[in-house]
Amino acid sequence: MSFELISGSQAAAIAVQRVGVDFVAAYPITPQTAIVETLANFDAKGELGGEFVSVESEYAALASCYGASASGARVFTATASHGLAYMHEIIHWCSGARVPIVMVNVNRTIGAPWSLDPDQGDSLSQRDTGWMQIYCSNAQEVFDTVLQAYALSEELLLPCMVVFDGFYVSHTYEAVDVAEKEDVRNLIGAPIFQAQVQPGTPGNMHALTTGENQMLLIKNRHETMLRAPAVFEDINKRYEEIFGRSYKVIDCVIPPGAKTVILAAGSTSETVRWSLPQLNNVGLIQLRMFRPFPADQLCSVIEAHDVEKVVVVDRNCSTGMGGIFAQELRAALYGVEKPPAVQDMVLAGGVDLTLQMLENMLDSGPVENRVEEKWGVDLL
Amino acid sequence: MKIEELNRESEMLYSGHNACPGCGAALAVRYLTRALGPNLVLVLTASCWSIISGMPPLTALKCPILHCPFPSAGSVGSGVKRGLNAKGKHDTTVVVLAGDGGTFDIGLQALSGAAQRNEDYIFICYDNEAYMNTGMQTSSATPFGARTATAPYPLFKAGQKKDIMQIMAAHGIPYAATATVAYPEDMEIKLKKAKEISGFRFIHILSPCPPGWGTESSDTIQLSRLAVNTGFFPLYEIRNGVSWEMTWMPERTRTPLTEYLSRQRRFNQMDELRVQALQEEVDHDWDCLMERVGASEKCD
Amino acid sequence: MLPEVIKEEICFSCGKEPSSANKTGEWRFLTPEKGSRLSPCRQGCLLNGEIPVWLEAVKNGKWEEAWQIVSSYNPFPALTGHVCFHPCTENCNRGQLDQSIEIDAVERAIGEWRLRNYKRQDKPKGISGKAAVVGSGPAGLSCAYYLNEAGYIVTVFEREKVIGGMFALGIPEYRLPRRILKKEIDVLKEEGIKFISGCNIGKDVQLSELYEEYGNVFLAPGAWKPRKAGIPGEEYSGVWNALDFLSLVNSGQPPAIEDPVVVIGGGNAAVDSARCALRMNGVNHVKLIYRRSRVEMPANQTEVEAAEHEGVELVFNALPREIEKGNSYVKTVIFDHCKTNREGLTVDQSRSFKENCGTVIMALGQEIDLSVFGKLEKEAIIFAGGDLVSGPATVPEAIRAGRIAAMTIIARSSGLPEPELMLPVEDPVAFEDLNLEAKINLSLQQKQAEPNEEAGRCLGCGTCNSCGICYIFCPDMAVEIVGNRYQINMDYCKGCGICVQECPAQAMLMEGGR
Repeated sequence: MSFELISGSQAAAIAVQRVGVDFVAAYPITPQTAIVETLANFDAKGELGGEFVSVESEYAALASCYGASASGARVFTATASHGLAYMHEIIHWCSGARVPIVMVNVNRTIGAPWSLDPDQGDSLSQRDTGWMQIYCSNAQEVFDTVLQAYALSEELLLPCMVVFDGFYVSHTYEAVDVAEKEDVRNLIGAPIFQAQVQPGTPGNMHALTTGENQMLLIKNRHETMLRAPAVFEDINKRYEEIFGRSYKVIDCVIPPGAKTVILAAGSTSETVRWSLPQLNNVGLIQLRMFRPFPADQLCSVIEAHDVEKVVVVDRNCSTGMGGIFAQELRAALYGVEKPPAVQDMVLAGGVDLTLQMLENMLDSGPVENRVEEKWGVDLL
Repeated sequence: MKIEELNRESEMLYSGHNACPGCGAALAVRYLTRALGPNLVLVLTASCWSIISGMPPLTALKCPILHCPFPSAGSVGSGVKRGLNAKGKHDTTVVVLAGDGGTFDIGLQALSGAAQRNEDYIFICYDNEAYMNTGMQTSSATPFGARTATAPYPLFKAGQKKDIMQIMAAHGIPYAATATVAYPEDMEIKLKKAKEISGFRFIHILSPCPPGWGTESSDTIQLSRLAVNTGFFPLYEIRNGVSWEMTWMPERTRTPLTEYLSRQRRFNQMDELRVQALQEEVDHDWDCLMERVGASEKCD
Repeated sequence: MLPEVIKEEICFSCGKEPSSANKTGEWRFLTPEKGSRLSPCRQGCLLNGEIPVWLEAVKNGKWEEAWQIVSSYNPFPALTGHVCFHPCTENCNRGQLDQSIEIDAVERAIGEWRLRNYKRQDKPKGISGKAAVVGSGPAGLSCAYYLNEAGYIVTVFEREKVIGGMFALGIPEYRLPRRILKKEIDVLKEEGIKFISGCNIGKDVQLSELYEEYGNVFLAPGAWKPRKAGIPGEEYSGVWNALDFLSLVNSGQPPAIEDPVVVIGGGNAAVDSARCALRMNGVNHVKLIYRRSRVEMPANQTEVEAAEHEGVELVFNALPREIEKGNSYVKTVIFDHCKTNREGLTVDQSRSFKENCGTVIMALGQEIDLSVFGKLEKEAIIFAGGDLVSGPATVPEAIRAGRIAAMTIIARSSGLPEPELMLPVEDPVAFEDLNLEAKINLSLQQKQAEPNEEAGRCLGCGTCNSCGICYIFCPDMAVEIVGNRYQINMDYCKGCGICVQECPAQAMLMEGGR
């Protein structure tokens, strides 16, 4: 164990250094800049191992990662908000191309108008692109998840996004066990996935294809991603052996007899976790892996505990539909024998979550409108 | 180019590809893959060649082709070269192939970023002077006065053809050159030269397009020749952004531009004043080029 | 090895099969046809020779191949290379670029190569038969050669003591070195052709006897009867007819003639006589006097210029009226001024002049004289060719006649098709049609000394000379390299037409359909 007092961003960067990458593409955007700067510092000390390249845009960053990964290299980049949105085309392309890439996205509202607070809409807007998404609530989780994301991504040949809140996680300093390179090598060594680009062998890769072929490719991608929870579990077994820590796709703290649970992802789940003692017999489901959506796991936990009400904390709002986690949960619960009531606590814009707001939400009783939605601003 | 040395084994292009009859781009890629292969990787962005390369399970080239989205050619190339280096494949030549759209317009940012970083690959733009793959729409490489699908008669392309070579010169890259299909020896010499240089190299190949330019499919080579002989598309090299050298000069005077324009239906019904303006533009650009060449000679 | 997660049977995102599975030849609605178009040299050639084809062979150092091509229509390139007036070179498109190809020089080189490397070879046993050829001039020798090649046993009858006809007696040494003629005739003898000289058919042997004995007879005695002017004094001694004069000179027994010499006539025999006379000891002044103007002279202008350059004085528009006798030699020839007009020749006797001379050589042309052969008793099929049939003409035409006669004889006895008599009538490939801008392999040099280098300057008008331009410029890799030839692969050719347009020799055409 090797503890350092670092921020979430630094934790992500250190994890990248520990795992050993061939190529890092860097472009700065608030609140991610500390990630690329930390990696630059490693490079300056000759400790990075791979190449660190400042590129001219986020689009270029992910595009060059695609090229390098297709050539067999282990890559990394990080972005947020507008940068992620700018990459959108390439984000689709990477999952279709089945290249393993780990990218950190630090949640930040997408304008207009300009805003820096950690709305999760940036990463959630990319939920259909075929990338795995794992949400972290503190710096230690960030460190561990980045390492695990490499193992997951290179096993499944699907890109993986590691997501955490801007400022609440990225800029908050904690004591983090940052491990040693040798320990990390026990988890994951040098990249062994096959490079798509093989000089000397003909190959017309990702060229135009028919709808029928495309369907088969999408089906394969979909089925592969659905294997992620099982692979994640294997990885975490090994992680437990090496580091003494492990995670699940959803992390539950549900006191016996609790009929109400709060579903949250990111730093709000940590707020809820710490608030549980003050709340009256309420449980927490921390949603970590969001893609693939852990429908089975959620349903079985909810059924096992006979949950009657789920309050979903959504630091986002899909305009015209509502909070996204709540939507996905409702879809997952469809067909369940005794579905719980789902209430949506919308903190769009990245508004801070307080104990008071939680209490107000839990005390508020049933909501008149069909979507049972309550906005954070109304809960202050 | 010695005829005795030509053999099909060194050719990287298969027959049976889907290029239009008389396609200048097909010929350009045939020449460049032959000159730069066989240890070659092609990064290919959206353009006619995305389609010409074939639909899997077919491929039109012996070397691996990595397709990428439209604006990303310059960036993906950077990644591929660095990825191959990381895997110990330092000798593989990486070529990024883009059309004029993917170079001059939507791809300009990636091109500029890669050039500025002096990425170690060869960026080759095959220029058919419009978005031909999608139906001949205007690009910033379309010459003044030409008609396109988005500038149909009585409209025409206003504004000059973007001078991509000067842009590349401004980046100070080690090597940039123009080439075209009617001068295969000239092109081969330049490509082989580029192969030996490290850093960012840029080749601009004029590739006539019979359906897009409104010409006979048999006229491709002759058009290419006229483009050079009129001075519309001069053949030259630029080293380090400052040293300009011609690789072809007219024997006496340049051919009048009308001989070039009259063979192409995209220049039909072009107003006389506009023809004159275009001729003046070509003359002016030629004079400026000669000045730069002259200035370079003095410095050498 | 593919990673486990992507099942091989559904990995369709990567193409590995060559696109040559896609036969784009089906797109075509016009097809490039590689053929042979008429070159201007061939158009001018009286033998219809495939000149660009053998020039290419010489360029590539393939002398045997060049000989095979030439000898298929002309067995004596070593001789024609010297004496033919080469209309091929006059038509040569290269002349419009820098200098015409010296085709005769290359032809000579082929002939000389063959003479140096000649080895007797057995002939096909298929045809057995006999043939008699009357006359050992170009027509007779040509016929004898082709019949011999086919397996006939050929006997050539020659009136004179020396073999060669016009080659030996009509054409002077400075135009055709006798040692080369001797070598050619030696080869023919080596080949098994029998020559009987000093035998006059019609006198020593009758024509009907010949036909009885040999079955196949080819008459090529030429046209030797001199045309007379019909003026007083023509029969005086010292007045020669050109052919008698040349025969004696060329057989090494030049007659004694007196200076100054006047040659009357405007044809090749007149010029040859003038130039021969000037070379003789004691002759310092030779005048050639012709009844029409210079441009109307039937003689080859190069020869006329050469004669002038050597010092022969040329006089035009003068018609001889009378030859006055002097002592033992002729003294004066009276000429009247004349002019050609629509009615013919207008003579103006008021403007006349006298030429004093030691020798007069009359070169007014020859005539055919069939009477020498007498009458045939029975019906017979006799072949004839050369000057006997056409009147005085040229060596290549005589050679062609001899070959056609031989091929006809062979065809009739073997049931094969008879030879094609028609000469090509299409327009030849003009200089403007050629596409010289490709410039690859175009050796832009002036006349070269070595035959294969000179042959290398040939632009190959209308004939593929394997320059490789079609291969270089094909966007579809649809041109195959077979040996050193280029063939279009019709499975893939899309019919774009680039090869046809760019071919420097314009040896291809676009045809409709697939």
